[in-house]
Amino acid sequence: MNVASRLPDCPAATIAGRAMQSVKPPFLGFGLGLRAQHYDEILSGNPPIDWFEIISENYMLPGGRPLRTLDRICERYPVVMHGVSLSIASTAPPNFEYLQNLKDLAQRAQPKWISDHLCWTGVHGKNLHDLLPIPYTEEALDHVVSRVQLVQDFLGRALVLENVSTYLQFNNSEMTEWEFLSELSRRSGCWLLFDINNVYVSAFNHGYDPLTFLNAIPADRVVQFHMAGHSHMGTHIIDTHDHPVCEDVWDLYVAALQRFGRVSTMIERDDNIPPLDELLLEVNRTRELAAKVLPAGKLAE
Amino acid sequence: MSDFARQQSEFQRGILTGDDTILAEILDSPQETRATLFGVYRHAYGSRLVEAVRNDHELLHLYLGDETFDEMGHAYVRARPSEHSNLRWFSQGLPDFLKSTEPYCNHPILSDLAALEKALNDAFDAAEAPVVALEAMAGFAPEIWNDLVLQPHPSARRLDLATNAAAVWMALKNEATPPDATPLQVPSRLLIWRQDTTPMFRELAAEEAMMWDEAANAIPFGVLCEMLATYHDPDGAAARGAGYLHGWITSAALTAVSAGD
Repeated sequence: MNVASRLPDCPAATIAGRAMQSVKPPFLGFGLGLRAQHYDEILSGNPPIDWFEIISENYMLPGGRPLRTLDRICERYPVVMHGVSLSIASTAPPNFEYLQNLKDLAQRAQPKWISDHLCWTGVHGKNLHDLLPIPYTEEALDHVVSRVQLVQDFLGRALVLENVSTYLQFNNSEMTEWEFLSELSRRSGCWLLFDINNVYVSAFNHGYDPLTFLNAIPADRVVQFHMAGHSHMGTHIIDTHDHPVCEDVWDLYVAALQRFGRVSTMIERDDNIPPLDELLLEVNRTRELAAKVLPAGKLAE
Repeated sequence: MSDFARQQSEFQRGILTGDDTILAEILDSPQETRATLFGVYRHAYGSRLVEAVRNDHELLHLYLGDETFDEMGHAYVRARPSEHSNLRWFSQGLPDFLKSTEPYCNHPILSDLAALEKALNDAFDAAEAPVVALEAMAGFAPEIWNDLVLQPHPSARRLDLATNAAAVWMALKNEATPPDATPLQVPSRLLIWRQDTTPMFRELAAEEAMMWDEAANAIPFGVLCEMLATYHDPDGAAARGAGYLHGWITSAALTAVSAGD
């Protein structure tokens, strides 16, 4: 859909060529993905976690315990919303019902930002509920830039988009993933969620150096890091989020701190979810490494 | 159709139908073939959706066991690809699928068990609404009780089961051996609702089920009692009606009582 065509008083070129100018989201510290298994412990213990990331779809519900719990969490902690079904790169028409539900949830949770993934989840009315890869072509870039602009206009705020783990590459790609992401951010004004584990996974799967990816991303566009575990299959790595963060990814986190500086960081565990204490150790490690790597006083600024 | 759109269609078709056309547009990796790499997406699709069904139907999973449940789950995924943006709603069609698809339809306990789990799941995250307090009933003068209209809580729903699925559910929940699946001569009439944050269900007598259903259709209390009188003991109908109403209010199944128009 061409937004400009619906706004006859605005020059089309102005609409299509603009990037949303938005204030960079604040540094939140060191957080954790909110999971139902930890609700009681969080609410009864107020653990030392700076902020929580919620899976948006888990709360896009009519009511009941999930939303009541979310309200209580939001009273105590800063929250960001992280979705899995925006399908920003889909060539299917945008799902405005989904976007309205997302907007309604944001009204309720007042997140510091809303993120999703640079991927698509389905076409022709189907949803495969997966973060599917795209070819890095000019055509795809033009399409995603226009979709991001539309969604940002609809939500009235800049989006944050995450690099996904990919298991394959298309033979018609015309640029690298990092060139695509950088250009997408520049042209649309979206911020970037830099998933350090995903860079590691994709780099292994496609045979490049993760530092090449890391060093090519514009440092001033990154507002969040994800840290997670994966499953190594020998010839490829699958992004399962069911293990602790591995040492190679911790090393890459240090490199990311050196390049991007102080960035809101969180531990993301989606399966085989351990007790909260175990995840708190990983959250503390993100904090301790940042304190060690960043120049003195930089964390507290 | 743009090349990008065509490529996404092919990719999706490759996952949903097993068609390999898309492989011509995918590169081998340094360590692995494109077929294996595309297979990661194919496998993840089926296993993720079956897992979603398993999460929504823990007791049906327990009843069927891993192997049969997985086979059933994959059949459901093949028959009814998701059209929802939220995985929460993917298994909504499972009771209907089990009721209408061989070989599962030959075992009606399965669709009944799935329907009960679905109703409890739906009650769990149904919309919020106030609940009627017993004290509020004191505000209605005796002469207007006949005109009272009752409004069920949004989480409340009725379900009629043709089998002893409720007893099977209860046994599985209590980690006991479930009774043999049995068709019932008379349907089991259940009321499912949420009390605070906990989904509940209980079996209703035939006349209480009738009264609930008609109350949900906005039939006033006085008429409901007249209808109860046709079941048995006409003289005790009003007292029975008041008793049922009392039970619904104390279990938080009503969201409003009003004096009608």
